[in-house]
Amino acid sequence: MATDGGAYSYSLTVFSPSGKLVQIEHALAAVSQGTTSLGIKASNGIVIATEKKSSSILIDDSMIDKVSVICPNIGIVYSGMGPDFRVLVAKARKSAQAYWKMYGEYPPTKVLTQEIATVMQQATQSGGVRPYGVSLLVAGWDDNRGPSLYQVDPSGSYWAWKASAIGKNMINAKTFLEKRYNDDISLEDAIHTALLTLKEGFEGQMTEKTIEIGVVTVPSPAEIDAEKTAGPNVRPKPTFRKLSEEEVRDYLAL
Amino acid sequence: MNTFIDRFSTTSAASQVRKLKEQEEDEFSDAAWGSEAGFGNLAKGIPSFSVPSVHDPTAFLRLHTDDHADPNCRIKIQHGTTTLAFRFQGGVIVAVDSRATAGSYIASGTVKKVIEINPYLLGTMAGGAADCQYWETYLGIQCRLHELRNRERISVAAASKYLSNLVYSYKGMGLSMGTMICGWDKTGPAVYYVDSDGTRLKGDLFSVGSGSTFAYGVLDQGYHWDLTDEEAQELGRRSIYAAGHRDAFSGNTCNLYHVKEDGWNFIGNFDISKMHYEGPGNVPGAPGTGYGYDVRVLGRNSSNPPPPEAAPAVAAHA
Amino acid sequence: MSIMEYNGGSVIAMVGKNCVAVASDLRLGNQALTVATNFEKVFPITDRIYLGMSGLATDVTTLRETFRYRVNMYTIKEERDIEPEAFAHLVSSTLYERRFGPFFIEPVIAGLSKTSSGAFRPYIAGADLIGCLNFAKDFVVAGTASEKMFGVAEGLWEPDLEPEDLFETISQTLLNSVDRDAYSGWGAIVHVITPEQVITRTLKARMD
Repeated sequence: MATDGGAYSYSLTVFSPSGKLVQIEHALAAVSQGTTSLGIKASNGIVIATEKKSSSILIDDSMIDKVSVICPNIGIVYSGMGPDFRVLVAKARKSAQAYWKMYGEYPPTKVLTQEIATVMQQATQSGGVRPYGVSLLVAGWDDNRGPSLYQVDPSGSYWAWKASAIGKNMINAKTFLEKRYNDDISLEDAIHTALLTLKEGFEGQMTEKTIEIGVVTVPSPAEIDAEKTAGPNVRPKPTFRKLSEEEVRDYLAL
Repeated sequence: MNTFIDRFSTTSAASQVRKLKEQEEDEFSDAAWGSEAGFGNLAKGIPSFSVPSVHDPTAFLRLHTDDHADPNCRIKIQHGTTTLAFRFQGGVIVAVDSRATAGSYIASGTVKKVIEINPYLLGTMAGGAADCQYWETYLGIQCRLHELRNRERISVAAASKYLSNLVYSYKGMGLSMGTMICGWDKTGPAVYYVDSDGTRLKGDLFSVGSGSTFAYGVLDQGYHWDLTDEEAQELGRRSIYAAGHRDAFSGNTCNLYHVKEDGWNFIGNFDISKMHYEGPGNVPGAPGTGYGYDVRVLGRNSSNPPPPEAAPAVAAHA
Repeated sequence: MSIMEYNGGSVIAMVGKNCVAVASDLRLGNQALTVATNFEKVFPITDRIYLGMSGLATDVTTLRETFRYRVNMYTIKEERDIEPEAFAHLVSSTLYERRFGPFFIEPVIAGLSKTSSGAFRPYIAGADLIGCLNFAKDFVVAGTASEKMFGVAEGLWEPDLEPEDLFETISQTLLNSVDRDAYSGWGAIVHVITPEQVITRTLKARMD
């Protein structure tokens, strides 16, 4: 949301005579310069993955987080500007907690995606701000819709995908995914497909240090019912989690 | 001889016992003697009660019993009630409800709120149940003594004035009574309103209690001097029903009395909810249907259409 | 004068076998004066959730509209009906929003919760006027006759009652309780929620 800059803080995002919002196009350009991220929805879960590139070997890359947990059932990954992402993550986490406070459960993926999309849209219409320079992939599981994967763009538009890629290599990656994807792919296969896709056009060595992976798993009916009757003193079992470096290394070795 | 000495000696064992007994009598009110039913000290005139041993008992009692001053710390007394009495050509009608409440709790639905002082006098009960019961029974005793002393029945005016003077002597000490003394004397039917403030009013028509406004509504609308006995009884019943229906602290049943030249008659006990749906039953003056608004307007307006059985047979098949 | 007793009225909810029941009296009073005898205090939220509210009548109507608004927004946003668990939290949150100037009502929630197998599980909950939830396994009560209802329900309720038996139990509990309460009664209404349907009946009660 825009800070109130008074009556004369006009929006920087204005229509060009041809009907385009040039600022948004520029933001998309920033996204397509960012490292590639992708997400694949499998029959029993979702994988989101990204390339983690540091400009210097001196940077401690264990500090860099490109896949972020929003709440126990939702995680997101981005391509584009890191600082903008950090702000969105903070807002998304706050929104998820506000939802929990109101309803005693975490938001469905679609609702949280809409919240983030609203924040991003607002930046295209408010005074004194620029659009967010990121595209997001939102992966989550909920009671109502099961596992779902969304992409959000700087304009604030969002779509549900079976598989998608964003960032520098998105065109190639999407073509690759279109060839490899089928509806009854398993989560394990999806993780391997994700790594293979990232490999296309990967600069340098693919290691557990340069890859980040997050997965959504689907709980069993028994687990879902247990959760509902557990009461307020039991923490929900997460359905989204980030893979540890060891796990990533194991997947890369295969 | 010994007994004679004993009686006047100041040192003998008998005199010790006598002294002890006298002490006891000083310390304990005669009212405590169960065998005398609480009226043991009548010989001394007006009964005496022990009052709190503080400098100003009236102020003390007002603090702890007067619910207007402090509703939180009061000695709980029964407040919700509807009672009514009216004079007419055929005597006096006395009608009361039977609900007793303690706060919002309905403690009883079968309270007798008409106190039969003697065959010619009735007292009604509103306010403190115990106060009404005790003092009106006491009034009955005094009325009987009056009869014995003067060889004629006490007038309603005198009886009510006796009660009024009596409660006035306890003014400010927490007595709570709103009563109607009703009867028939040389002057004919009579109704007096007496309350614990000391008010005493002669009148044709009174209603007392939290439901009195509702009763007055029906009463005023239906009252005139030339009512027949049946009409008058029905009016009393119908008025108590109205109060029972609208007032949360009145209800359950209606007790109806009719005082005539030869003393009072108990007409009956009527369930107020039954009166709402079905009416008072097969009694003189009854309308044959329930008193309830819904019952009375059933089938007479569009928001309350006739019952389905009245609809044409074709509609029933559809 | 307690503001919770200003208008009078009582509500109760009970769990049965694969069903729940919720009931209220019909009185609207102004302290001792009975103003209306058709004031329902239980409202449908979804096909499977009913909300009962006792307390200050103006707050009952205001909150009915507030919850209608919030549940409608939820349904549109989420493209699904709200579940009893989430609705109970919504009620709690809405009440706690006014922690320092409360709505003078006590809510009672009754509904059937969908399990992952597609079956339904009975759900009831109550709360105080600032939203402290009480998840009961048997029954919840609220209103001026609540103490009496606790007593009667404690005696009459038993586990796994079928819908018709549950109806009888909740009806008798409510009617006999309000007959001992000066501020409640003057008619009653009962809803029994089963997976197939909601049975609604008005009861003939004492009118004094």
